[in-house]
Amino acid sequence: MVEAFAVASGKGGTGKTTSTLALGMALAEQYDVTVVDADTGMANLLFHTGLDDVDVTLHDLLVEDVATDVSAAVYERFGMHVVPCGTSLAAFRAADPERLRGVVADLAADTDVLLLDSPAALGSKSAVLPVVLADRTVVVLQPTIPSLSDGLKVQEYARSYGTETAGILFNRIRDDADVDRVVDRAERYFGGRTLGVVPESDVASDARRAGEPLLSYAPESTAAEAFRDAAARIDVRAGDSEDVADRFRSAVVPDEV
Amino acid sequence: MRIPRGRLVRSRVVSDPGVALASALDRELTGYAVFEPQDALLLDEGTAGIVTFDSGVPVLAYNTETDRGGADALADLAVPGPYSVELYEVDAAALEDTHDTPELRVAPDVPADRLAGDLALAERTREAAPDDRLDAGDPADPVEAFLEDEEKIEAIREQAREEARTRAEEWGLSAALDDG
Repeated sequence: MVEAFAVASGKGGTGKTTSTLALGMALAEQYDVTVVDADTGMANLLFHTGLDDVDVTLHDLLVEDVATDVSAAVYERFGMHVVPCGTSLAAFRAADPERLRGVVADLAADTDVLLLDSPAALGSKSAVLPVVLADRTVVVLQPTIPSLSDGLKVQEYARSYGTETAGILFNRIRDDADVDRVVDRAERYFGGRTLGVVPESDVASDARRAGEPLLSYAPESTAAEAFRDAAARIDVRAGDSEDVADRFRSAVVPDEV
Repeated sequence: MRIPRGRLVRSRVVSDPGVALASALDRELTGYAVFEPQDALLLDEGTAGIVTFDSGVPVLAYNTETDRGGADALADLAVPGPYSVELYEVDAAALEDTHDTPELRVAPDVPADRLAGDLALAERTREAAPDDRLDAGDPADPVEAFLEDEEKIEAIREQAREEARTRAEEWGLSAALDDG
């Protein structure tokens, strides 16, 4: 079985990569999980997982005529399969975003849950492809006007491609912020469920500096607990992995003329 | 709101209201900022939001078009940029009467935090704010007011749907559209 989720937010700074890895690690207790840094222009998952010195990354899989097997960019870390992306601008320029489809198809054939850490932007084809390819999105939000309006935008873009919202996750919430009323009102406009409200925490940035996901670095922290609860609220849907892989391979993105 | 005419110290077009808030904080502006959103799609022409400052820290918010103040006025400003922003300097003494308008008050960090979504700027603003302002902040949240405005939310969604379709064509993704 496989379900692909795009972890998305319209705006940067919401802690999307921290969230992707936290949900991934929590889901890995129950499922076979693959996490992909689909933010090919602003990759940072590698820094969160201690993979910043690896040789092969997603970028190498997206370059034409480089015969690299997908498995070469898959690293077994923290109980998950992790596919980092490089940070070189030249590699980003050389990468063909459409090849992401094939990479996702290959990865989908062999996992239960695929999490695509998606760009915090909608301004290019490579930025939009993760929400095009995913089955559903998890929208990471903050209780601010730009974050909510950008989150609504992402949801509408995703829905345009038939990708529904699995749930919303409020992240980096300050202790003194009374967000209940904001969460109640936001729920009216977003699909899926409210997966959780995760407190702002210094351990998230400490974990990033240590090159470890939050759930590995500080598993007992309040934020880690909130992420685990959020992951438990995601109703992963069983799909036939071959069907999903075929769908990614064939139907989704037409080849460029 | 009656506000004394100030001396223009900065005028520019910004895509993010946080730029103007940061500029006011950095120059410890006592005076006011006039925000005029450039996108007429989501609002009537002539809408202007005014935020007043005391030593760089926001005090009041008012919207000239909707005649709403405080958190509601900030929510009224919540439209996609760009904005044209003008910063005006005013003598502190001349602003005293204006600032004695509790119904227009906003908490010091709320414009940076909730309108601009800039956590670091909000933190810097809290550090610069006098203690009595931090304790006596207006509890109203512009985010709640924003989410109450169903018409505006629907306009944002509709605009996103149209944009998604237009761009799908540009990027050769039309076939992947749900009804494509």
